Amino acid sequence: MHPATPPTTDAPVGRAHRTPLPRRHLLRGLLAVTVAAPLMFGAAACGDDGGAADPNAPVKLSIFWWGGDARAKLTEDALALYTKKHPNVTFETTWQANQGYFDKLATLTAGGNPPDLFQIDDNYLAEYAARNTTLDLTSYQESGKLDTSKFPKSLWQYGVVDGKLAGLAAGENTQGLVYNKTLLTKHNLPEPTTGMSWEQHIAWAEQVTATTKVPGTQDPSADYKALWVWLRQQGKDLYKGKELGFTAEDVTKWFELWKGARDRKATPTADVIHEGNSSDVTKQLVVTGKSATSWVWANQMPDLKKNTKDELGVIAYPGDPSAQWARASMYWSVFKGSKNKDVAIDVINFLNNDLEAVKLLGTDRGLPSNLDLRRVVSDDTTDPAMKQSIAVEAELTQKFGESPQVPIKGHSKVKSELIKAAENAQYGRATPAEAAAQFVEACKSAIA
Amino acid sequence: MALTTAPDPTRRGPGSARTHADRRGPGRLRHSEGLAGYVFLSPWLIGLMGVTAIPMLLSLYLSFTNYDILTPFSEVEWVGLANYERMFTADPSYWHAVRVTVTFAVIAVPLKLAAALGVALLLNRAWRGVGLFRGLFYLPSLLGGSVALAIVWVNMFNRDGAFNSLLSLFGITGKPWVNDPDWALETLMVLAIWQFGAPMVIFLAGLKQVPTELYEAASVDGAGRFRQFRNVTLPMLSPVIFFNLVLETINGFQGFTAAFVLSNGTGGPVDSTLMYTLNLYITGFTELNMGYASAMAWVFLLAIAVITAIFFSTGRFWVHYSDGEDR
Repeated sequence: MHPATPPTTDAPVGRAHRTPLPRRHLLRGLLAVTVAAPLMFGAAACGDDGGAADPNAPVKLSIFWWGGDARAKLTEDALALYTKKHPNVTFETTWQANQGYFDKLATLTAGGNPPDLFQIDDNYLAEYAARNTTLDLTSYQESGKLDTSKFPKSLWQYGVVDGKLAGLAAGENTQGLVYNKTLLTKHNLPEPTTGMSWEQHIAWAEQVTATTKVPGTQDPSADYKALWVWLRQQGKDLYKGKELGFTAEDVTKWFELWKGARDRKATPTADVIHEGNSSDVTKQLVVTGKSATSWVWANQMPDLKKNTKDELGVIAYPGDPSAQWARASMYWSVFKGSKNKDVAIDVINFLNNDLEAVKLLGTDRGLPSNLDLRRVVSDDTTDPAMKQSIAVEAELTQKFGESPQVPIKGHSKVKSELIKAAENAQYGRATPAEAAAQFVEACKSAIA
Repeated sequence: MALTTAPDPTRRGPGSARTHADRRGPGRLRHSEGLAGYVFLSPWLIGLMGVTAIPMLLSLYLSFTNYDILTPFSEVEWVGLANYERMFTADPSYWHAVRVTVTFAVIAVPLKLAAALGVALLLNRAWRGVGLFRGLFYLPSLLGGSVALAIVWVNMFNRDGAFNSLLSLFGITGKPWVNDPDWALETLMVLAIWQFGAPMVIFLAGLKQVPTELYEAASVDGAGRFRQFRNVTLPMLSPVIFFNLVLETINGFQGFTAAFVLSNGTGGPVDSTLMYTLNLYITGFTELNMGYASAMAWVFLLAIAVITAIFFSTGRFWVHYSDGEDR
C-alpha cells in the first residue's frame, strides 16, 4: 500500500523466492478435507438416536431467536423457570435483531452447528422443512408430549409442511389494517370498519387525503400478505401445492386496483410507498405520519404504538374477513440432528402450555396459542395497545377461514419479486399488465 | 488479492528452472533454513489455508453444485456448469446487477480519482493549517464502508433530508434522491466520490516525490502552470495514478455496504442499487442458493482479474518510472 513502491508490471517480489508447494499433494489434501468435512457433519447429524436414556442427565440446550431486549428478558425468565423445575436442563441462549437472523441461522446450520431449538417464521419454515433441517413433530404431537389439544386447529395446521409438523406456533396473529385514530377524530372523519370492500376502502382513503392532506392509505400492492388476502377473496391463493395459486391476470387486476388508488391520490407517492415497503415496523408510514393507514400484522400494534403519540386503531383487511386466518406469528422448530430432541420438545410444550410460562411471555410472540391460557393472559393484560389487539383478534377469530398452506420453497424470492414488480408499476416504469407478467415469470423460476 | 492474480508471463519459466537449480545446491542447509522459515510462517500459512484458500476452493467446488447452505455437504448434487449457464443465459437480474455495477464503477471511480488528485494538488502547498485540511479531507475515508455513514447518507438524501432543505433555500424543490430509482445509484456514487481521502493521501505522497528541479527546469523553458502539470506532474505521478486506479476500480466493483444499507438489503428501489456483491449476497443468504452464489463469486473474481490485467497491459504505454528504464 505504500506509494513509494508502486506495483510494477512485474509480479510481486515475493514470488521468486517461494519454493513451489508440492501441488498435487496440496490439492489431494484439500480434496480430502472437502470430502471428509461433510462426512463428519453428516455423521454427527445422525448418530444420536439411541442415547440419552437417563432423564436426569445434565443437558445444555441451545436456543436461538430474533427480537429485541424485551423479548429476550421475557424468554430468559421463562427458560429460567424451566430450569427451576428441571434442574438438569440449562440453556445456551442467543438472540439478535430480525435483520441478519436468517443469514446467521443458515450459516450455523451449514457449519454443522445449528441450535437445538430455534425460532422461525412462515417465510422460511418450508425452506427449512423441505431441506430436512427441522424435526417432524407429528409423533410427539400424537403421543401428547407436545400438547396441541387447546390450540385452534388451523393454527397448528399452519405449521404442517408436506404432511410433517415442521414447527409449532409460538403465538397467533393475523393481518391487521392499522389506522391513525387521532388524525381521523381531529378532522371528523369516519373510522374504517372491518368488512368494507376494497373499493370502499380506497374511496375512504381518497376522502382522508383530501381532508387531512395526509395520504389515506399506504399502497400495499407490493405487500404479499395484502395480495394474499385479496387473492383468497377471489377464490385463489398464493400457492396451490408446489405451484402458484394465481395467474398474471389476477396480479394485473391487483396492480390496476392500486394504480387507480394512486391516480385518485388515495395513497402517497411512489417514493414514500417505497419507504414503507423497505423499512421495518418502527418506520411504518402510519407512525411516521406519512400515511393514515398501514398494512401490518395485528401483533405489531404494541410496537407501532411505541413509535407514535397518536392513538391507533386496527381492523381486518378490506373485503370478506374470512379470507384471513389464524396465522402463526412465528414458530419453534427443533433441529433434526439435535442430541436433545426430547428435551427440546418438552421446552416447546412448556413455553406454550405452562400457565406461569405463558403468563411471563404474555403476547410478545403473538397471542398465546393455547386458548385456555390466552383467556387468562388477556384478562391479566394492562397494556391498552395489547388489549386492543387481543380484542380485535378475538373478534376476528370467529370470522377466520381455513389456513392456507405454508408458503413454499422460493417464497422469499417471490416476496422480493413482488416488491420489484409493484414498484415498477408505482414509479410508472411499467403498466400493471407488464409488471404482472414480469412478476409471474420471475415467480415461476423462483419456485421451480 | 487481485493484484497478485495479474498474469506474469516473464517469471514463470525461469522461475521454475531456478528452483530446480536451488535444489541441486547445498541442499541440507537450505532445507533446515526452509523448515525454520515455514515454522515462522505457519501462523500466517494456517490462516491463509483456513480462512482463505480452503474456503475458496470449497466455493469453487460448490459453484458446480446445487448447494443451498442448509443441506449437508454429503448430500449436495453435482450440477456441472448449470449455475454458470443460468447466470449467462437465464437470469435477467444477474445482468441487471452487472450493468448497475459497471455503471457505478465507470462513473464513480474516475470522478473520485479526479477529486482526490485535485484536492491533493491544493493541499500540496505549504500554507498554514494545511495539516488540518488534510486530516479533514481524509476523515470520510477513515469511516470507510461504515454502516453509520450510509445511514447518515440515507437521512441526508431522502425527501425531507438535509440536502433538500439546503436546496429549498435556493428555491429548488429536491427529489427523494435515495428513494427514486433514477437517482438512488447516483446518490451512492456521490457517497463513494466523497470518500476520496485514501487516494488523496497517496497522491500527496506521490507529489512530494516529484523533484523540484524538474519544475525549475520547465519554468526556465517557459512552461506555464498548466504545461508543468501536464508535462511534469502527470508523468511523474503516473505510477501513483496507476496504483490508485487499480485499487479504486477493485473497490468500486466491490461496493456493498452503502447499497445494502440504503436499500435495506434489497437493492431497491426497483433494483436500481442492486450491486453485484449485493445480488450475490441476496442469492446466497436470502434465497439460499449458495451454489449459484459461489459461481457468481468466481465469475466476479475472474472479471476483476481480467480488468486488472488489462490495466497492467495498457500501463506500459502511460506509466513512467523515474528510475530510468521504463519497465
